[in-house]
Amino acid sequence: MSAVPVALPPRSPRRQGPAPQERFPEVDPQQRHIEIVASRSQKRARPRLLAAIVTVGGLFAILAAQLLLSIATSEGAYEISSLQTQQAELARDRQVLIEQLQVLDAPQHIAAEAQGMGMVSSASTAFLRLSDGAVLGTPVAATASSALRTAADGSSLIPNALLGVVPLVGAANIADAAATASASAAATAAAAEAAATGAPAAVPGDPSVASTAPASIPTPNTH
Amino acid sequence: MSTVPRMTRRRLAIAILLMVAIFGVFVVRLVDIQVVRAEELNTESLDKRAIGVTTYSARGDIVDKAGAVLAGSVMRYDITVSPRTVPKDSFIRGTGEDKVEITIAEAAAEIAAITGQTQSQVLAAFTTNPESDFEYVAQRVTTAQMREVRALNIPGIYPRQRPARIYPDGSVAGNLVGFVGTDGPQNGLEFTQNSCLASTDGSSTYERGADGIRLPGSTVTTQEAIDGGTVMTTIDHDLQWSVQQAIAEQALAIGAESASATVTEVKTGKILALADWPAVDPNNVNGSSADRMGSLAFSTPYEPGSTFKPMTAAMLLDQGVADPSSRVTVPYRWTSPDGAVVRDANPHPDQQLTLAGVLEQSSNVGISQLAVRLPNSVRYDYLRAFGVGSPTAVGFQGESAGLLSSTWSNQTKYDVAYGQGVSVTAAQMASIYQTIGNGGVKMPLTLVTGCKHADGTITDAASTEGTRVVSEAAADSVVQMMEGVVSGGSLSKALQIPGYRVAAKSGTAEIAANGVYTRDRVVSLAGLAPAEDPQYAVIVTFVKPSTIKTSAAAAPTFTKIMTQVLKTYRVTPSSTSPPNLPTTW
Repeated sequence: MSAVPVALPPRSPRRQGPAPQERFPEVDPQQRHIEIVASRSQKRARPRLLAAIVTVGGLFAILAAQLLLSIATSEGAYEISSLQTQQAELARDRQVLIEQLQVLDAPQHIAAEAQGMGMVSSASTAFLRLSDGAVLGTPVAATASSALRTAADGSSLIPNALLGVVPLVGAANIADAAATASASAAATAAAAEAAATGAPAAVPGDPSVASTAPASIPTPNTH
Repeated sequence: MSTVPRMTRRRLAIAILLMVAIFGVFVVRLVDIQVVRAEELNTESLDKRAIGVTTYSARGDIVDKAGAVLAGSVMRYDITVSPRTVPKDSFIRGTGEDKVEITIAEAAAEIAAITGQTQSQVLAAFTTNPESDFEYVAQRVTTAQMREVRALNIPGIYPRQRPARIYPDGSVAGNLVGFVGTDGPQNGLEFTQNSCLASTDGSSTYERGADGIRLPGSTVTTQEAIDGGTVMTTIDHDLQWSVQQAIAEQALAIGAESASATVTEVKTGKILALADWPAVDPNNVNGSSADRMGSLAFSTPYEPGSTFKPMTAAMLLDQGVADPSSRVTVPYRWTSPDGAVVRDANPHPDQQLTLAGVLEQSSNVGISQLAVRLPNSVRYDYLRAFGVGSPTAVGFQGESAGLLSSTWSNQTKYDVAYGQGVSVTAAQMASIYQTIGNGGVKMPLTLVTGCKHADGTITDAASTEGTRVVSEAAADSVVQMMEGVVSGGSLSKALQIPGYRVAAKSGTAEIAANGVYTRDRVVSLAGLAPAEDPQYAVIVTFVKPSTIKTSAAAAPTFTKIMTQVLKTYRVTPSSTSPPNLPTTW
């Protein structure tokens, strides 16, 4: 039962006595017009159209947003997948390059390259002090005996299976230097020849790489 | 209510019953799926959608003192085939106009050309077990090879990751680094430092859609991948190579059976180079014989001979029972009061030598006469303090403690003074010379400074605490006396390094076999430079040389290595001259 107060219904004719007429003598029965008027609280309780529209609209908006999000996510999944593939390939590239670099950095390889370029290791200890140009120690020219010795088959005495596949670039570089440098033809030919045969150019003073200004002081190789 | 017709009531009842029944069916089905068969169905569905992935983590690197990689991890690939999936005769490659038909024999030839196998080997993998789902075609191929094979687009061929180990420097420090075999780490630091190097592979699963794309948010990681730590060694790989090259050249020249050399930083006890010849190339373990795979410098003790004399002199000086000018009269052959017989290396008339002279001339008789000024027990304690008879602080795999008897016979007590009747490893010798060079303070011999983890923390840091063995004055005096070997001894010419003061001692020891000394020798040279403030100790040893059987065989190699060390570390030439202590009286 509703707690809302309701206007009294019209009385049943059976119970109608003379008294009512007396009670409302001034009202004409023909003019009586009873209307149900909603109370304030009733009005408040009634569902409002606007609220309904907003709710339903909001619901649809959420659904649409969710759909769009899910579309975007799955679009992203393809992008992630392709980027991950790309990342894996790049990581492989990186690893391959690091591996190559490490092998090229092997002391045997550097020594073999240097020898291929006609260098020998110096047997003496002498330093040039840059602050005053003083020569410390006793410089002695390197001789052919300083050249790196290799095994009978030309391989390094300190084997490295990884270097078996790495070609030496020394000979090629010397050939390039010989082609571009404007040094005397004889010197370059000697250098190129030495490089080509793999023998160290061990003669002291003989420039292994053609230099344009042989009379100048060589740049000290400081570390 | 009583006004509702009967017909309507019945209809209502039927509808409700029907609804309840249908609902009931659903409930039963739901319980069956969600509870009763949940496990089974979950597994089944996951198998269809979920993919397990192993994230390989890298085993840690072994690096030299500057960070150059001596042992590193790389990814290699196994080419595998599912013979069941491989087309029986041929398949179509390419689309549109580029479409070509490739027979299986052609495909096998293509793979063989890349992996360096023969066509029949590859075909055999395809056809030996036709119902198999997994066979190896080739193992451990490089990334480039794997990419070429993958680009062939042959159905049923799958590359698989396979973590592998490379040693970029090959046999440079190969005997120290060791190697990893198919059953895990086998040797050297790879073995002893495994707890640092070991990594944990990660595992995770993800679900994928019909087109094979990973479903967002479906990844479940059950184990994070953890990379191994980095083992930081004290080795300088360029110097190590120089040293190995130098001993290899000389060992071949004099026909030695094996050789070793050490370079030690005197102030810290760090091993900068420790070379064995022949050395194993960890990239090609099968290329070396089994007895060459460890480090002889740690594993094989030898009777050192005269390189022991400076240590004997140091204990005499420390106890104050002798000084560099102590006088002895030295015959070629001397019989001691207690009946022992001591001989010098070469016949000579009686000499009047000081202790400095005894070291310069390397007189066995002279050092024997002086050594017994100390009781055996005191000498024994000194030897133990120098590290004789116990493994070094390095704790290398299979490291020997050498042999030092605690009871000496009347002959042994003289022999020990000049390094016979006692055996040490090359590593122990390095430690002894480090102690003498460092003013009598023995630093723990160090090969590994610690384990560096991915987050930068360092664990297992090596101890850097020194212990004093002899007084600074005694040690410095010994170094000055050893300078006499370079300035006036018989090997003076071969040992001098222009511009530097060098202290050295030669050793030619006899090798005992079956209880008797044979004609075989161990020749060595040990020294320190610069002598005024020793920085580096170098010891070179050749075992059983066949052409030159004296320490003259080791002298040029010692000089070469020491020169290289002084150059590499930019040691400025000496500004003072050697003291030239009197050697005779």
